[in-house]
Amino acid sequence: MKLGDGAFALLLTLPGFALLCAVVVYPLVSALVSAFFEESLLYPGRDFVGLDNITAVLSGDFLRLLGQTMTFTVGTTLLPFIIGFGLALALNTKIKGAKALRGLMLIPWLVPGVVVSFLWMWIFNANYGVLNALLEGLGAIGAPQAWLAHPDTAMVAVIVAKTWQSFPWMMVMLLAGLQTVPPELYEAAEVDGAGVVRRFASITVPHLRGIIGLVILLEFIWNFQHFDIIYVLTGGGPAGSTHTFATAVYDTAFRGFDLGMAGALGLLWMLLLGILVVLYIHFSEKGEK
Amino acid sequence: MAAWLAVIVFGGFAMLPVYWLFATSLTPRAEVFSYPPKLFPSSPTLDAYRALIDNPALFAYLRNSIIVSVITAVLSVIVSAFMGYSFSKFRYRGRRSLMYLVLSSQMFPQALLLVTLYSVFSAYNLLNTYTALVLSFTTFTLPLCVWMLKGFFDTIPNDLIEAAKVDGATRLRTFFVVVLPLAAPGLVAAGLFAFVRGWNDFIFALTLAGPDKQTLPPGLVNTYIGEASTAWPELMAASLVVSLPVVIGFIALQRFLVGGLTAGAVKG
Repeated sequence: MKLGDGAFALLLTLPGFALLCAVVVYPLVSALVSAFFEESLLYPGRDFVGLDNITAVLSGDFLRLLGQTMTFTVGTTLLPFIIGFGLALALNTKIKGAKALRGLMLIPWLVPGVVVSFLWMWIFNANYGVLNALLEGLGAIGAPQAWLAHPDTAMVAVIVAKTWQSFPWMMVMLLAGLQTVPPELYEAAEVDGAGVVRRFASITVPHLRGIIGLVILLEFIWNFQHFDIIYVLTGGGPAGSTHTFATAVYDTAFRGFDLGMAGALGLLWMLLLGILVVLYIHFSEKGEK
Repeated sequence: MAAWLAVIVFGGFAMLPVYWLFATSLTPRAEVFSYPPKLFPSSPTLDAYRALIDNPALFAYLRNSIIVSVITAVLSVIVSAFMGYSFSKFRYRGRRSLMYLVLSSQMFPQALLLVTLYSVFSAYNLLNTYTALVLSFTTFTLPLCVWMLKGFFDTIPNDLIEAAKVDGATRLRTFFVVVLPLAAPGLVAAGLFAFVRGWNDFIFALTLAGPDKQTLPPGLVNTYIGEASTAWPELMAASLVVSLPVVIGFIALQRFLVGGLTAGAVKG
């Protein structure tokens, strides 16, 4: 290829990078910078305060938010993984209608996040909710519960709703992985007398190790910053028990109008997220080889 | 046997809520406020859907959603095609780093970006405009769309591009006349993804757009949530209507999408 091709190729990437700089890089850097200033959304100007915001966050809500964010993230990564893997294994057998089922089960993942929230808000409804009726019918609870209004149950409810949205993606990815396992391997193992569990442990899992790691890591990263479902379902409540970094940063900036504190919280959040992103890039580069 | 058990238990978790959404949307309003709820509406009615049609505010949100999502889809396909082509068919220093830069941009939390983005758009008088939403959405579609289109371009033989060059076509002409038509399925798939990104978004439309430019997701929250007694049949009907375009589009293009989806993520 002749000399000008490199310049032409870079030119092609220009519109995309202009957008990335304007919408991602600049706002990110400047949000992080505001961590060191006292700055409000309500009036212009700002004062340098050094590490004051960061120490305030660390001695305030940080540990509680970290705990809640981790609970949410771990729950919404493992539950969808288990359900998605179970379904992928089931759909990978020769059961009738596997294709149609796979399509149907993608619905929860396709619909807008707010729809997921509306639906589960209605299912969890304290007075007329179908979940209360089902559990009462089964004798699991004595009286209708206000799932979203109690700190003990609100986080579980949010995790369930997010799990419902996430598992189809896990299912599709793992199913794609399962389909790359050569059937001869299973046949040979079966001839050797290996049972279902044995075949799963010694063929399926090792073969899928790469993709299992990848989907868990990606899901973890996404849920670590998830906003929509929590915000609509509980708004971070009751008593802040379902706040995560995402909803807390948002509320600090747009309800408390405190950009400095939002930036400080965001800075700490980004540090944790950065570790995950480095892991992810490391992981996907290894996968390319 | 175990396969069926998994399908029934997990499938029930997956599909029963979908049924409940549908059933509630057909339930008369008075019947919804009774406990225990009836699993089958005793006298199904389309009242909830009629109420939606009679609400002009919802049509304004719908119009905003369509405008924003369609422009996002078109813009995203153009920008991603340029970028994906550059990554796929040219070799230059820093290419791989640039590719990973694009990919990692989806990892930054949007709630944090908004903290400053709000002020940036405000400074350029772009708050409460379609522009702010379209620019934001387009940017967030880039990682997926660029990688997906790169995958499609990778399958186009270099010989075709060389042949066009020998015939005297300019590089841009080659791109538009030879390469793009061959990648048409990819363009459609990327366009749908971008459309859905705009259509499903909540946080940006909630924050950057005022009431008259807001799309359906924040519009529905504003309309139905926080009232003393939510009109559940209406809200479920609205949820179903909002979800339909996405579900139908996906079913129509499933062949391309599932492939592109897994390829993008499995290969990194």
